[in-house]
Amino acid sequence: MRPLSSLRPVHVVGVGLHPYQRPSSTPYTALGVHAIRAALRDAEIAWSEVESAYTGTASTAMALSRLMYRHLGSTGIPMVQVENASASGSSALRQAAFEVAAGLSDVSIAVGVDKPLTFSLPQAAAGVHDLVGSRAAAVTHFALLADRYLHETGTTPEHLAAVAVKNHRNGALNPYAQRRTPCSIEEVLEPPRISGVLTRLQCTPVGEGAAAVVVASDDAIERLGIDRARAVTICSSASRSEQVYDGENFDVALTRATVAQALYEAGVEPGELDVVELHDAFTIEELLYVEAMGLCEPGGAAEAVAAGRFDIGGQVAVSASGGLLSMGHPIGPTGIGQICEITTQLRGEGGARQHPRARTGLAHMVGVGAVCVVHVLRRAG
Amino acid sequence: MRATTRAELVDVEPEEPFLRVTRCRACGRVAFPPMTIGCDACGAGEEELAPVTVRAAGVLHASATVHRHHGEQAVPFTIVEVRLDAGPIVRAMGAPGGGGVRVGDRVAARWQVTGADGDGNELVEPVFEKESP
Repeated sequence: MRPLSSLRPVHVVGVGLHPYQRPSSTPYTALGVHAIRAALRDAEIAWSEVESAYTGTASTAMALSRLMYRHLGSTGIPMVQVENASASGSSALRQAAFEVAAGLSDVSIAVGVDKPLTFSLPQAAAGVHDLVGSRAAAVTHFALLADRYLHETGTTPEHLAAVAVKNHRNGALNPYAQRRTPCSIEEVLEPPRISGVLTRLQCTPVGEGAAAVVVASDDAIERLGIDRARAVTICSSASRSEQVYDGENFDVALTRATVAQALYEAGVEPGELDVVELHDAFTIEELLYVEAMGLCEPGGAAEAVAAGRFDIGGQVAVSASGGLLSMGHPIGPTGIGQICEITTQLRGEGGARQHPRARTGLAHMVGVGAVCVVHVLRRAG
Repeated sequence: MRATTRAELVDVEPEEPFLRVTRCRACGRVAFPPMTIGCDACGAGEEELAPVTVRAAGVLHASATVHRHHGEQAVPFTIVEVRLDAGPIVRAMGAPGGGGVRVGDRVAARWQVTGADGDGNELVEPVFEKESP
């Protein structure tokens, strides 16, 4: 396979969001158009300049794209839904980036939009059953990981809670976050537990929202008069799926391999990353993934969090947006919302949650199945 | 008589639970739930997937007690991951009241009665607990 960097450069030139929120009566079309208009304003281009649209979505409805995009004017562009579980938005961005990098289009848009209406998993249709069925929900999957990790590393429930404290502190500064209230370790640990050691504030809220990213070629930047100083280059796009592992957790093994590929293709070392948005749907995930990414030594994540190494202003800002834990996880939008945050940070437009001198960022999502999608971005120039 | 709604996963004939796995003749991969159609390690066809039963015993890999659950199962209950002596890590129910089992302990399954079927048979499922010495 050839890397994205073997094709022509592709840049993020516009980002926009609809705040992530609890399920409401707002139609998905309004959520999506709000985010798209914001991204077009940010890029200072018209909808008529967009040549294709990829919609990351997983929990709303079949064929939802045109009913949304028509409100911007029915320009007849190709549009398609991209479903890849939690990595749907990340996968939509990947397709839009490939299209521009390959020279098929000069401007494409990746949009994530979802309402939590229909969740269906393929096991029943595949006739695949296990001994526990629905009794082991996603939270229990990660509670089991937490139990194993605590046993192996000596990490405590308080260490886990510190991840939620950090990410809620960041999310409180993010006007698009679903949970915007800072919390203490004591508040995070307050009963009831949901499963294992995980309490409510250690689990992502799944709501609704939208995110949009406009990607463009150098030619488009020139032709449309887009501000090159605000463009952020997509240096690599890596996507992998689960293999057979000997006992190691598949999300961790998959993250390690996919991040390594993305960093290699971008020519970036883990130590060069300034901002990282990762799939912290549950606190334990952040500890596991920062180790798998090489941001700290194996087994050292809890201490690194405690020492502030992953704070805004620390060694690398992890989940400066608030992450899935605080900003929320509306599924389709989440991976694209990560790109919005990283772009904002690399432009130096993060306001109160700006990480100093942010130049290189990484976005990571995993999706049930299991898949992993990682992008590395760098400020142009 | 013991009966199960998951006959493709468990063998209810023995006094202690046995699980149905497949062993790939091409690559040796032992899979639970048993593989059909093709091997997920090497891609060998279903003719290479030999059905085998293995004792439901091994070492506790992890456990989690569930306190909030939207399904029919009353809380709290415990989900365990066990690395079977036969190789794979399986996810199953922990024995009710089976606290005190720690990661790394030897565990084995026993039958737990969960109800009855229309023929008067006891519906059972395997639940793991600390193995008696």
